[in-house]
Amino acid sequence: MKRRDFLKGCLMCSAAAAVGTGSKAQAAGSFEGYPDAMGVLVDLTRCVGCRSCEAACNKEQRLPEPDVPFDDTSVFEEKRRPTERAYTVVNKYETGQGEPVYRKIQCNHCNEPACLTSCFVNAYTKTKEGAVIYNPKICVGCRNCMIACPFNVPGYSYSSAFNPVVKKCIFCHDTRLKNGRPPACVEACPQEVLTFGKRADLIKLGHERIRETPTRYYDKIYGEKEVGGTGWLYLSSVPFDKVGFDTTLQNEPIISNVKDFLGMVPMVLAIWPALFTGVHLLSTKNKDGHDDHDDSHNGTGGH
Amino acid sequence: MKQYLKAKGNSVEHVDALHRNSDGRKWTFMEKLLLGLTPKEYLQQALKNPFNWILAVIFAIGIPIMIGRFIFGLSWVTHSSCDYPWGLFLGFGLFAMVPLSSSGFQLGTACEVFGRHDLEPIERLALLNGLLGYFFAVMFLLFDLGQPWRLPYPMIVAFGPAAVLFLVAWHVATYLSVQIAEVSQGFFEWMGWPAGKKAVRKITLGLTVSGIILSTLHQGALGALFTYAPGKVHPLWYSASFQWLHFFVSSIPGGLCMVIVVSTIAAKTMSWRFDDRFKTNLDKLTISLAKGATMGLATYLTIKLIGVAHDNKWEYIATGWGAWYVAEIMFGVIAPLAIFTYSIKNGKVGLIRFGAWLTVLGVVLNRLNTAMITFNWRLPEREIPHWREAIIAITLYSVYIVTYRFILYRLPIFYKFKTVEVPVEATAGVRETVSLIEENDLPDAACAKESISLSGRRLSGIETAN
Amino acid sequence: MRTACTWIMLAIATVTITLSLPQKAAAIPDKIDIGSLEALYKKVNFDHAAHIKTIYDCAVCHHHTTGALVTDPNCVRCHKTSNPTKDVACRNCHRKDPFSADVMNEKLNPNRYHNDIPGLKGAYHQSCLGCHKKMNGPTGCQDCHKRKPEGDAMFNAGEFAPKKPAGKGHGGH
Repeated sequence: MKRRDFLKGCLMCSAAAAVGTGSKAQAAGSFEGYPDAMGVLVDLTRCVGCRSCEAACNKEQRLPEPDVPFDDTSVFEEKRRPTERAYTVVNKYETGQGEPVYRKIQCNHCNEPACLTSCFVNAYTKTKEGAVIYNPKICVGCRNCMIACPFNVPGYSYSSAFNPVVKKCIFCHDTRLKNGRPPACVEACPQEVLTFGKRADLIKLGHERIRETPTRYYDKIYGEKEVGGTGWLYLSSVPFDKVGFDTTLQNEPIISNVKDFLGMVPMVLAIWPALFTGVHLLSTKNKDGHDDHDDSHNGTGGH
Repeated sequence: MKQYLKAKGNSVEHVDALHRNSDGRKWTFMEKLLLGLTPKEYLQQALKNPFNWILAVIFAIGIPIMIGRFIFGLSWVTHSSCDYPWGLFLGFGLFAMVPLSSSGFQLGTACEVFGRHDLEPIERLALLNGLLGYFFAVMFLLFDLGQPWRLPYPMIVAFGPAAVLFLVAWHVATYLSVQIAEVSQGFFEWMGWPAGKKAVRKITLGLTVSGIILSTLHQGALGALFTYAPGKVHPLWYSASFQWLHFFVSSIPGGLCMVIVVSTIAAKTMSWRFDDRFKTNLDKLTISLAKGATMGLATYLTIKLIGVAHDNKWEYIATGWGAWYVAEIMFGVIAPLAIFTYSIKNGKVGLIRFGAWLTVLGVVLNRLNTAMITFNWRLPEREIPHWREAIIAITLYSVYIVTYRFILYRLPIFYKFKTVEVPVEATAGVRETVSLIEENDLPDAACAKESISLSGRRLSGIETAN
Repeated sequence: MRTACTWIMLAIATVTITLSLPQKAAAIPDKIDIGSLEALYKKVNFDHAAHIKTIYDCAVCHHHTTGALVTDPNCVRCHKTSNPTKDVACRNCHRKDPFSADVMNEKLNPNRYHNDIPGLKGAYHQSCLGCHKKMNGPTGCQDCHKRKPEGDAMFNAGEFAPKKPAGKGHGGH
């Protein structure tokens, strides 16, 4: 009786898990973002490396004091990445053709974020406004999102012993985006490197800029297709791999890599119990019953 | 303990039944814990063991650092790297320990599902190896998690069912309970609670089958975790279609060889705990396990190469990373495969044990390579773990060894617990008779009959099985 | 005859010039105080006259709006023969709040060609800084607008500069 109950329980669990994972596996890859999701078009040809965006972000998000003032250009000596102390950083690239190119890095707010799909407590949310936000109250701190992010964006407040959390750009969702306002960096940028708008419109706008002044731009919008599309899009005067972008990224969302495995899960859950119980019955049929080894295990036959 | 017993001769009676052989009195719980020794004797033998002194040094340094990790945070013990969020705790502790713990489900399946009763003497060791491996993998995880007290969140607070880690969390948690239930049989015997054992026995098949499901899935899931980072794991260690298969299949020889390794160490250090059944069968069992491991290794090698061929990554073999990849495959897969094939044929058990060591190290190296060494291969600098991180990993692994040894010393893993009812004659004045035991030298004689009849049955059982 | 004609034409020309110049000169400011970033920076005292003297061609900054000949191939498509427009000042086309809901909705109008007009701040900087770079004019931020204390606070500069030694502490690399 007990065994049957157990097996039944097993099967029910498997069925539930199969439904859960199956539906998600199907959904993966087909999501192209909310229709009214906002984005930002970053035109690197305009950036002069003034770091106003970094300063504005620091104040808006109440981040810790920086190591050096925001008008200090010595930071360009190394290539930085976003951390728990700076949600956005600007790097400088000498391309060998005239002026250096500056590149602003922050969360790209993917249509189908790898951080979100890798999180086992669903701490991330892609809002209908287009931001990828994070709930620090349920984060366990496994840092799988940092492994998964193809842009190396999330930082972690390791130094906090009792409440370390993931720290990353949230598109100023709580303070601005939600109310229809652009993020602080966009507002602070003197050169209007950053154009705020609906992602769908920005893609048109980007292509229009390339068409109007083809000599100014490399013919591609980075983020239009990468890993399923990102909310933040880039235009550049030089090929993107020259300014630190990963140009080997796939066009499918990251979750599509995991689909092979997720698709296998319901199969295992459904087939294994039947298969192995069957094999057991077959391989022990000719003996004196299912528990033929029981007495041998009990030493000298205590019962 | 081994040296202590050597010094004392056979004068010490081992706890291997509910009742003492000398006078038929029930062993008290305290006596069971102290291996039938008095506290003083127990301490003596413990102090005599040089390994304990090494452990003492490790704990003296490591435990304060472990405590410090929870007081000062992760930044105190790690480099707090955003590029390498997973260090030794997960790279070694989780990703390397879990595949070496697949032994539980494999021997469970062989014995309980396929009816391979000839493997039964080592089944318990395999189950225990599985349980402890998983348990300590979770311990390592607790050190790594930013907020370990939230570990149950994916079960009760918030669900991310699309995440592979969600599967891992659920499966490891359920599988841990399954393994506790499986291993608890020995514990119930030792405690003298037959009802508990009977209850577990009844659901053994259910437990075993769910064990297979959970193991297949989360061994694979650990591999699938890396398919989230296609650009970061080196292409030679990455395969979108095969990653979970690579991890699952390599866990098969990994787990089996870990059992061989543990039994090898035990044969060197605690053969006093072996009963005749285990002692006489060990070589034969080792060969059986090695056969399984050989099949696993051969399959693994094949799908590893298919993985490279499938995405046409041959060009990477010519690079420095490629040489490292070839080295891993040579020493961790091809060498043991050759050793096993040769030594199984020629019955060279010593060589098999060497091959098992190689396999275990090969699996560990593969996981370290995937999770740490080749991770972020395109970034300019590699991260060497912080020294405190390494010390915590060593200390925690030492705790694992101590726990492992503690259980092997006591629970009926290497020996059968005799549940035969010995008539209770003397209950009063037992303490005074203790001194008599040494003179009487009873245990051997008393055990002999049983052992002989037992091993006889065992042998005939093997013959019919074969 | 010929000289008389020349004299008459010269006289007419003089009259028209003298009549038209004061009229126009009244509309062209010599100095402009630009204070749109007053929250963080002091006003920029823009010497319009000096810039006119140096560049002469209004179209460099004012596009087609002054009636000057435009040369940009994109602009030429429509504005080859454009007349001077009523609005010439930057702020009349370049909006102070380019990402406000109103402005963004305006851009959605499918009949509108100019849906990528930079905001006022962007237009100033792209135009001024772009030209200053080419002409070797001043290009440092504070060369044009000095920061106020509020600006120093924003940039953690001046008296708000970080006190602790740089490069210490965890995080990043």
